[in-house]
Amino acid sequence: MDDGEPLPSYEGIAAQFAAAKAAKETEEASGLRARVKDPKVEAKKGEVHFKALHGIVVAFLTLILILHVLGIYLFMSGFLLTRLVLESKSECAVPPIDISSSYTTPGSYDTGCWHPKTFDKAIVIIVDALRYDFTVPFTPVGEEKAHHFHNAIPVLYETAQKHPNKAFLRPFIADPPTTTLQRLKGLTTGTLPTFLDAGSNFAGTAIDEDNLVAQLRNASKKIVQLGDDTWHALFPGYFEPNLTHAYDSFNVWDLHTVDNGVTEHIFPLLHPTNTSKWDVIFGHYLGVDHAGHRYGPDHPAMAAKLNQMDDVFRKMIDQLDDSTLLVVMGDHGMDAKGDHGGESDDEIQAALWMYSKQGLFGRTSPAYITPPANAKERPVAQIDLVPTLSLLLGMPIPFNNLGAPIEEAFIGAKGVNFENLAVVNRLTASQIHRYQESYAQAQSSNTKDHAHSLSLWASANDAWKPVQAAKKANSDQWKSAFAAYAAYQTETLRVCRALWASFDVPRMLNGVLILTMTLVVLAVYARGLDGDHAELAPPLLMRGALGIVLGGLLGFGSTFAVPALPWDHTTTFGSAIGGVLGVASAYWYIRRRIQSLLPTTVWGWTSVLFTVALSGGFAANSFTIWEDEILLHFLTTFGVLLTVSSLRQKNAADGALGCYHSVLFILLARLASFSRLCREEQMPYCKSTYYASATSSTSAPWQLLIPVAVAFLLPHLIRTYYDNTLSYQGSAVTWLGFALRFGLLLSAAYWTLDAADDGDWYPDYTSIIKTTKQYLAILTLAMAVAFGYPTFNWAKAHLVIQTTAVGSEQASSQIVEESGSSSITVLGFANVHGSRYALLITIWTLLVSLVEKPMGAGAISLATFQIFSLLEIIDTNKLSDTPVGPVVLGLLGSFHFFKTGHQATLSSIQWEAAFIPLRTIRYPWSPLLVILNFLGAQVLCAVAVPATALWKQHPKKKGLLGHVAKAVATHILFYAVINLATTMWAGHLRRHLMLYRIFSPRFMLGAMALVVVDVVAIFIALGGTRVSFLSVAEVFGWS
Amino acid sequence: MSVQINTPGSKPKAPATPIETSHNDAAKTFTHIHPILVLSLYAYKFPSIVADPVNALMESLVWLGILQIAYVAVCLPPTGSANVVAEKRKPGERKRAVAGKLERELGGKIIPAFLSLTLSVLPAIPILFATLVLFGAPITTHYFETLLCAAHISLLAILPLVYVHGVDGERWREIVALLLPVDSVFGGMVGAFVGAWLGAVPIPLDW
Repeated sequence: MDDGEPLPSYEGIAAQFAAAKAAKETEEASGLRARVKDPKVEAKKGEVHFKALHGIVVAFLTLILILHVLGIYLFMSGFLLTRLVLESKSECAVPPIDISSSYTTPGSYDTGCWHPKTFDKAIVIIVDALRYDFTVPFTPVGEEKAHHFHNAIPVLYETAQKHPNKAFLRPFIADPPTTTLQRLKGLTTGTLPTFLDAGSNFAGTAIDEDNLVAQLRNASKKIVQLGDDTWHALFPGYFEPNLTHAYDSFNVWDLHTVDNGVTEHIFPLLHPTNTSKWDVIFGHYLGVDHAGHRYGPDHPAMAAKLNQMDDVFRKMIDQLDDSTLLVVMGDHGMDAKGDHGGESDDEIQAALWMYSKQGLFGRTSPAYITPPANAKERPVAQIDLVPTLSLLLGMPIPFNNLGAPIEEAFIGAKGVNFENLAVVNRLTASQIHRYQESYAQAQSSNTKDHAHSLSLWASANDAWKPVQAAKKANSDQWKSAFAAYAAYQTETLRVCRALWASFDVPRMLNGVLILTMTLVVLAVYARGLDGDHAELAPPLLMRGALGIVLGGLLGFGSTFAVPALPWDHTTTFGSAIGGVLGVASAYWYIRRRIQSLLPTTVWGWTSVLFTVALSGGFAANSFTIWEDEILLHFLTTFGVLLTVSSLRQKNAADGALGCYHSVLFILLARLASFSRLCREEQMPYCKSTYYASATSSTSAPWQLLIPVAVAFLLPHLIRTYYDNTLSYQGSAVTWLGFALRFGLLLSAAYWTLDAADDGDWYPDYTSIIKTTKQYLAILTLAMAVAFGYPTFNWAKAHLVIQTTAVGSEQASSQIVEESGSSSITVLGFANVHGSRYALLITIWTLLVSLVEKPMGAGAISLATFQIFSLLEIIDTNKLSDTPVGPVVLGLLGSFHFFKTGHQATLSSIQWEAAFIPLRTIRYPWSPLLVILNFLGAQVLCAVAVPATALWKQHPKKKGLLGHVAKAVATHILFYAVINLATTMWAGHLRRHLMLYRIFSPRFMLGAMALVVVDVVAIFIALGGTRVSFLSVAEVFGWS
Repeated sequence: MSVQINTPGSKPKAPATPIETSHNDAAKTFTHIHPILVLSLYAYKFPSIVADPVNALMESLVWLGILQIAYVAVCLPPTGSANVVAEKRKPGERKRAVAGKLERELGGKIIPAFLSLTLSVLPAIPILFATLVLFGAPITTHYFETLLCAAHISLLAILPLVYVHGVDGERWREIVALLLPVDSVFGGMVGAFVGAWLGAVPIPLDW
């Protein structure tokens, strides 16, 4: 400081303060000045100072959170696919191409708009998640035995085989994402989904594009909808209000309400007296899907459900009249556990069955009469339904359609009417061509991509000319025309699939830039500051906040100068960059306190190395798939390094204790690793143990014992960590000894009742069980929130003051004053801060345990046990100032994410967690419960972070708040690195085959984990620190 | 990591010094040939290890055992003699001593080498096996593979250490705590473990 350079004012003030304080202390020591003025005033001052500083630290880290959100938003808005939505609609009177001369009355809804219609009425039934292999007879391969889902709904296959002219059955391939809302869009518009909509499953929005339902309404058809209410979100006000009955679609625990409702209302409509009341019925059964979510496909409940569907369709066939078309289909399949959302084969392979008593369906080859044995043979795309239904019902083909007519429906009963097939394919292809032209106009797209499809269009028209010219064209000529138009459709679809995976690269790059700069700013704060991290926060906050506001204004203002720029992009980018620059300028201001970011210790290097190694691995799909095993490997490695370090300790007792806890940490990690839920890509090298079997999503009876064991063991084990320092006093006894155990027992009881409900153990008491388990869940939550939190808030520090005779055996570290024959012993003195704060960890253990399945409760309790061991290791190895604690907690949280039955896939989200304490969806609680279930492990570990800086620290240690801030910032830094890496890889590998299956879900997990950990670490963990510090200061005063 | 801490306790113990390879031509040559031999053994065996791990590893274990015994017997001073400074002989004396020395070495070195083999293999294999499992090796399947892997590591890393350091508990605490000075034996152990760790990295790859 004495290099002659003028000190910045902030530094000057700090220096002056230090000097004045030193002078005061010297004066006090030499008796020149009274020791304290007024203890009460001093205490009040200290408290105000602490509260202000704490508030500023929270505000600064919130600034970092805002920067993270801005960066993620900008990247996502460019990354999640966008497709231009054209508002154009097809019109009945305006065919896409000259109508062939054989059709004499085009343009009329009565006879058919572009093509003569075949049916007046249609019943379209969606059996949600009807996978193709459910519908075909099971043929054993090797030793395999029939599962519950096999041979349970034979009606579709039977009719297609016995009456090929009346019915056909084909595999029906969905375009991912395989969520119901996205599928309904595809099934009605005939176009490809974009990823952006996948996230809006909780609240669907109306379809703006041209679609089949809108066309039917335009034609004044009376449309009835029964079942899943997602339809109403997509087509508000389209349906006959008197006849339509919609049901809540998200209560996956309820297998029957929707199905019984649909059945109850659909059969009266089939009665001849009622058939004039409607033209098209859309029925949507949800039972199969819910049975899958709740039990998995291989469960008696699934067989029962499929049998029920079988009966329904047999009955429907009986009652159907001749002019009505019956269509039954699945909107998607389900994976081995009964979930869906992704793009694995099992999820996209649904079934399509059409039936009519007119007997006009045919096959182009006799070999096709037997329906395909599996979904790999002769599949049709789900979008093909749109032109097929449109033409059969005499509607114009929706403007955006990309599908092709399904040949069985147009080839005629004898299977030789290639003329009709060629005509409908020509119509469809022409509409696609018209659509492509307007799309190219709307978005000045590159014609090079379309060159091939355009040449196919030209050659198809060439093939058409001879058949048009010839009076009576022969079958081969029709065949080649059909093939040419079909080739054009296939090629265009392929091009569109590739093109609409088009990304807004500038947005993505800007998002990555923001995340990178925020990472640097955060890294400097976490590891590059010399001195008290709390005391340094005010200037960072001031300038950062100013930067965000100014940058945001500048960004928003620039849209007035250059109107072509989208305002959300410029404002987001401007404010984020402004914020980063603001904080950077503050760093320049306090540059004397900045030190090199390069680690100086072995532990620093190890922490960096492992974080970077994990992040680098996300560039490879194999390392992403096997992340759970890699985390185990890393955690064990850390455990071994900590064992080695413990053996190097000079103090033998510390060394032994450290060794014991390190080995314990390793053993617990390996024990937890037995809880696995495999993702599809890990097969066949992985065996799921999270549920009763690989094809179920219910717990095995023995797993119900896990929460009970946890309730009895965990409070006791935590207690041993309090006993070490004689901190098991006061509220610790009430909470750990009684309330926590009681809460965990309640949670165990909840899961037992839940299993009883699932398994129908007591069919007579179902409603009592349902009500009771709900109350148990609410009671457990109350135990944690309404009892645990107040206990934590108002507890005194865990201390007891004893006066004992000198020489009695007491831990010497507890003695604070010795005089003459007696000494004052403060029991619990050695770990005042740690024992006080750690109560919060256990409160969150209880909360997370409740929302995880029984196996997950076991994993969470192991995680808690590991957290306490880690705290001891950090203390005995004197690592509280190193990044080891926060980084290992990051690894631990990520590890237990997998051990609580999750994977980085959409289908592993346990939506049913929303219904643990509630019966219906309620905002904001339902999403919060799902998040707590999904990221429970990360949340728990984030709550534990301040404890790494507080465990067994001296109550009056200076700058302790700064240490906590440093630890929290380091923990956030870990997730920020992972998030940045997964973001960059997802952006870089955006054309990779595995993007949607692997990289995109991992990116979404990384982003979500970062934001949730930010919120938890800042508000819950630092909030808890405030409470804990205030109560410790009540006893020891402010230093 | 290079900080040395003297062992605490009442009895003062000689701080560990680097192990030097024996001062004779055979030792000096073999200490360089040995790693080449071990590496070529694995290179030669690699295709069959991939094709049929259990049998191939079983076979290579025997060869590795022979190589390691030869290495320690020829190149390293057995436990207890580590600090004995090699007698300085005049250049002329060397040749005459050879015949008698070989006989002495048979008794003085081969036996400790076999002893080390037993002592390293018997307790080390279960410990290493457990370690491998803790690092994520499967526990219900592939245990022969894991067991053989543990055996190979123990021959590569533990046998020479037992040979030169014996089974002194305090010395072994120093070894685990990485407090020994880096010499060819200790460095060999660290290398074997780091190599095993890195060898686990490509496991998830599917190509």
